[in-house]
Amino acid sequence: MSHGSNDKCEPNFTPLLDLVLQLVMFFMLCANFVMDQTNVEIKLPEAVAAKAIDQTEQYVYFLNVNEQGKVIFPPNARPVDSTGKEIETSDNPEQLFIVLRNRANEDKRAAGPGNEDKPLRTLIILRVHEMCSFDKTYDIMKACRRAGYLRVQLRAILATGLEG
Amino acid sequence: MLSHNRKRQGTDFVEPDLPITPMLDMSFQLLAFFIMTFKPAPTEGQIMLTLPKEEPGGGASIPNPAAPEKPIHYIVRVVATDTGTIEKMTLSEEGSAAAVGKDLTGDIKVYRDEVRALGAALTAQKKVGKLTLEIHPKLLQAHVMGLVDHAIRAGFNDISPVPLDKKNR
Repeated sequence: MSHGSNDKCEPNFTPLLDLVLQLVMFFMLCANFVMDQTNVEIKLPEAVAAKAIDQTEQYVYFLNVNEQGKVIFPPNARPVDSTGKEIETSDNPEQLFIVLRNRANEDKRAAGPGNEDKPLRTLIILRVHEMCSFDKTYDIMKACRRAGYLRVQLRAILATGLEG
Repeated sequence: MLSHNRKRQGTDFVEPDLPITPMLDMSFQLLAFFIMTFKPAPTEGQIMLTLPKEEPGGGASIPNPAAPEKPIHYIVRVVATDTGTIEKMTLSEEGSAAAVGKDLTGDIKVYRDEVRALGAALTAQKKVGKLTLEIHPKLLQAHVMGLVDHAIRAGFNDISPVPLDKKNR
């Protein structure tokens, strides 16, 4: 039985550290951060026929509608009232109409002269809580239509459709 | 200069040692944090709607260029309970002689089977269908979405949800 040299035996941590840092990076990137325009408090209904958003859409405006039918404006796209104060929520269809009309005017200006008849560039996506009643949703849809937005979509969670 | 050379020759070579252990500890802590807080976000998608016309009666606001012929227009009237669930549904065809529409009960499976049959018949006849959902104001969004979802899956592209009361359209 031979006892060899007295060299220190150390485990090689470098590949382990590489792997761990890669995992940390993965979980950091996949972390469920609050999105700019969506509201995590809105529980969406499920739908099998829902399709993912078209990536070519450049101008998308989310309107989050809570259980009581109140519109929650996205933090990075809040409108301002006549006094210059930011509007966070609105349960008044007339106020929503004014907000959307102002946005529609901006869209028309951006489209340029001669393109007034073309559909507005912004796509409105309604994220309506599953417990919100239809009359509230319809008031919002009516405000969109009055403001000139005909491209309106309803947001839903993609379901698997196993029930048939 | 001479003294400097002497000094260099006399210095022992020291291998630089990077302490990896604290870095590994921190990495494991970060990893544990992200694993514990990881919650994959549900995939969301959109359902396109046809907004009703401004005048009472409802209808398509965006003309469909792919459908030059007049679509067959079906109307589903949905009555809700006080809690916002479906109480009763009736199906009728616009211009039909029948005064009362076909009773679909309050069961969404009956509605699903009926719109599937209509969708299949339209496909066989190579015709285009349009579906107007006349919905009670109390019906919850989850049920509205269910009705629209089944209609899209049955092959209807032009679906327009409107209030039951024509005055509110």
